[in-house]
Amino acid sequence: MVHNFRNDITVDWCPGCGDFGILTALTSALQELNLGPHDVAVISGIGCSGKTPHYVNAAGAHTLHGRAIPVAVGVKLTNPKLKVIVTGGDGDLMSIGAGHLVAEGRRNSGITVLMYDNAVYGLTKGQAAPTLKLGVQTKSLARPNIYDAINPIMLAISTGYSFVARGFSFEIAHLKNIIKQAVMFPGSSFIDILQPCPTYNNINTMDWYKKRVYKLDDDKTWDPVVTENDPKAEEKYNRAIEKSFEWGDRIPIGIFYVNKKIPPFTERLKQYVDNYESVPPAAQDVKSKDGKPIVDPFETFKDKIIV
Amino acid sequence: MDFNILIGGPQGGGIDTAANLVGKAVATSGYGVLSVREYHSNIKGRHSYTHMRVMDKQPRSLKYPVNIFVALDPDTIFEHLDDVSEVSTVLYDKTTEDYDLQAARMIMRDTSAKIRRILTENGFETTIRGALGYMKKRGAKLLPIPFSDIATEAVPDGTPSRYYNTIGAAITLAIIGIDRKFADDAISYIFKGKQQVVEENVKVVDASYRFAEDSKVAGKTLPALPTPRKLLLTGNDASALGKLLGGLRFQTYYPITPASDESTTIEEHQNIKWIGKEAENLRKGGVVIVQTEDELSAINMAIGGALTGVRSATATSGPGFSLMAEGLSFAGMDEVPLVVTFYERGGPSTGLPTRNGQSDLLFALNAGHGEYPRIVFSSGTVDECIYDAAKALNYAAKYQMPVIHLIDKNLANTLDLISKVDLDRIKIETVELAKEGDDVKRYDLNTENGVSPYTTMGRNIFWMTGDEHDELGHVTEDSDIRDRMMEKRFKKLETADREIPLEEKAVLIGEKEADITFVTWGSQKGPILDVIEDLKEEGISANLLYLKMFSPFPTEFVKNVLSKASLVIDVESNYTAQAAQMIKLYTGIDIKNKILKYNGRHMTEDEILKSAKEILNKESLMVVLEDGS
Repeated sequence: MVHNFRNDITVDWCPGCGDFGILTALTSALQELNLGPHDVAVISGIGCSGKTPHYVNAAGAHTLHGRAIPVAVGVKLTNPKLKVIVTGGDGDLMSIGAGHLVAEGRRNSGITVLMYDNAVYGLTKGQAAPTLKLGVQTKSLARPNIYDAINPIMLAISTGYSFVARGFSFEIAHLKNIIKQAVMFPGSSFIDILQPCPTYNNINTMDWYKKRVYKLDDDKTWDPVVTENDPKAEEKYNRAIEKSFEWGDRIPIGIFYVNKKIPPFTERLKQYVDNYESVPPAAQDVKSKDGKPIVDPFETFKDKIIV
Repeated sequence: MDFNILIGGPQGGGIDTAANLVGKAVATSGYGVLSVREYHSNIKGRHSYTHMRVMDKQPRSLKYPVNIFVALDPDTIFEHLDDVSEVSTVLYDKTTEDYDLQAARMIMRDTSAKIRRILTENGFETTIRGALGYMKKRGAKLLPIPFSDIATEAVPDGTPSRYYNTIGAAITLAIIGIDRKFADDAISYIFKGKQQVVEENVKVVDASYRFAEDSKVAGKTLPALPTPRKLLLTGNDASALGKLLGGLRFQTYYPITPASDESTTIEEHQNIKWIGKEAENLRKGGVVIVQTEDELSAINMAIGGALTGVRSATATSGPGFSLMAEGLSFAGMDEVPLVVTFYERGGPSTGLPTRNGQSDLLFALNAGHGEYPRIVFSSGTVDECIYDAAKALNYAAKYQMPVIHLIDKNLANTLDLISKVDLDRIKIETVELAKEGDDVKRYDLNTENGVSPYTTMGRNIFWMTGDEHDELGHVTEDSDIRDRMMEKRFKKLETADREIPLEEKAVLIGEKEADITFVTWGSQKGPILDVIEDLKEEGISANLLYLKMFSPFPTEFVKNVLSKASLVIDVESNYTAQAAQMIKLYTGIDIKNKILKYNGRHMTEDEILKSAKEILNKESLMVVLEDGS
């Protein structure tokens, strides 16, 4: 039987919020992948995006502001069979949690990061967030934004995420399709999801985006996938970076870059940790039947034996 | 036999090798050895030393003045002017006598000024010659060592300074009376796999022993004693071992002194060797250890590990623990079984990053916003670290709350011989997992002891949030549920208090009634036990109220002991007597007499003894200890 990943908890996002589309895309993606109720963990930080795990019928943790990635990595590395999904806002992931976003690129643990990108801090009444462009004044700002914006796609590619894409919360089928590929991808994936905040972002509205977004794969020559011994690896990398700067009248959505050559952290651990693949920490017994230790202290610490 | 030894030299100059050489040779010949390392926050050049003690039995404390003082460089002599007396033999390089204090650029400016003042006021020139004159005046015997000649004689084409540490260690062993063959064995052990280095150093040992004999300082060769198999462990190592025994399979850390040695030790031993019989037919694998991007990540990643049911921990020191405060509060709110091993060093801020301190007790007890239960306890000896590290994982699992295990820097860097790891003392306690199924009330309010059903991601569907939550783990702001959740969380602490045996919280060591009752926690335990014996020889009776657990606090027991005591002396390595503050908070008993030390150096037997007598004789109410370079 297909598991229903939506539950009946009341969703309290504002009417018209892009988060609804993301939730629908996510839960239908999990369903279409035919994942079981215990195959998935959804981890979030703080903000409107942080409420997502409560609305998903799977194990979920709504953690601290900015810290969803470390928690998710802890879950993934101890139980690599789980599909671990992070939901966070652009403030959560690229401001207070920026260090973890960058470090996770280097680690590449095999988690899926969904970034709800609305350029504002909605839950605290609309302050400027890291993707709001310099000089833009959304309605609750006292003056135009004095910071410049981060380019999330370039950041993700350059820090090492091996699956980098962008979706739009009102292109649900398209987004669902990207999420499905990201969740099944062995390395860490990052999806920048353009998402209007109808309450606080009066600039980047649904209509504003609808007029501008176009799909990368409408161009039949667009091939973002780097494979083993790919002669075009460097070209694909450079083209993805170049594409990430396209913003204005036309905004590309779709898969920017996939690198199948980077071994995820879990693959790297296999080289060093006994039985990591077959018996990861979550599958281990740590005591004998009568509760005694099973570790031989002198044999394990043989190098510390002095006499 | 009782030798206190100090071997000093520049950081990176082979002090550890010298200390290991002495330690290994003494241990294999069947005698006891204990040592602690003191060093600057520096990679190369600044003064570093090892303070050791060699006895027939296993020592519990260190003592000044030292009997054998080995200066591998001139700075060591300047730095330790007052650590010698008539019991001391000072081994130094006779070619350095003209060396002027002004040239010793690696001595901190304030220390240099202090040395200059001491020498000048006592009428000595500010050179090594003057410093040695000062030491001689204090009664020390001077033994000039022709380091370069000994090295060149043994290894004619080598770089002489590379062998100074072996020379210092070998002459030390000769003075103690350790059979040379044990020194040779120690060389082979330390330089294992480097045949040429072994051969050269064996020749250096030979030349050094001959020098000691010719100089008539060599002791009578001590008989080798039969000795069981022993581990040489630091507090860091012992905690790592205890965690592995206790079932730890996931640890995260960010590099910090003096905590990271524990994590790298776990990493080096992550592929566990199993006990054949016990581990048969079990699902076994290695430990995953992750160096994270910062301590925020370290604690949150360990929390993530705990969510899949894995016994998870992180280890840090003061600055890192400050960053972990928010994560700790989350673990408290969400009832995550998490262990934080907290290595205390001298604070505040970066403070004394490589020095000792016990100034984080109140911080450990209060860190993190909001009110939530936690277990906070500490270890006092290397041996205790093993069992306590295993217990910490049990407490976390049983009571579903963060557990903070405190180990001070002195203990982290103490090298001790462990002859027995008693597996019968370790029982791995886990809680039964909720039945596999879709929904679990992870925060079920219907419990007697506050502990709700436990389950893991990958087994059941459950939710959790840092917000106040309902039984399913969804956000709530309902006022009644809030009350009941707060009460449920704190109920677990009452349960822990009821179930954890008293001896894991506090112990009265020694006679029930005594002239002096010492109160302490952490690494002062060993020295105080020695002081109690010293006092006994002088006809003064003393006992020790040794505190281990501060949350939950053993109020009744502490109150009972202290209300009957005649003279109570609190001994701590901090400024504000934090354990005494806790005692006052819980029992109302105000301990007036204190021996405190906050200069970052380890407490020694002699200084505690002297101060205790001052307090007993009513010469002082409180003594601040100042020993150590």
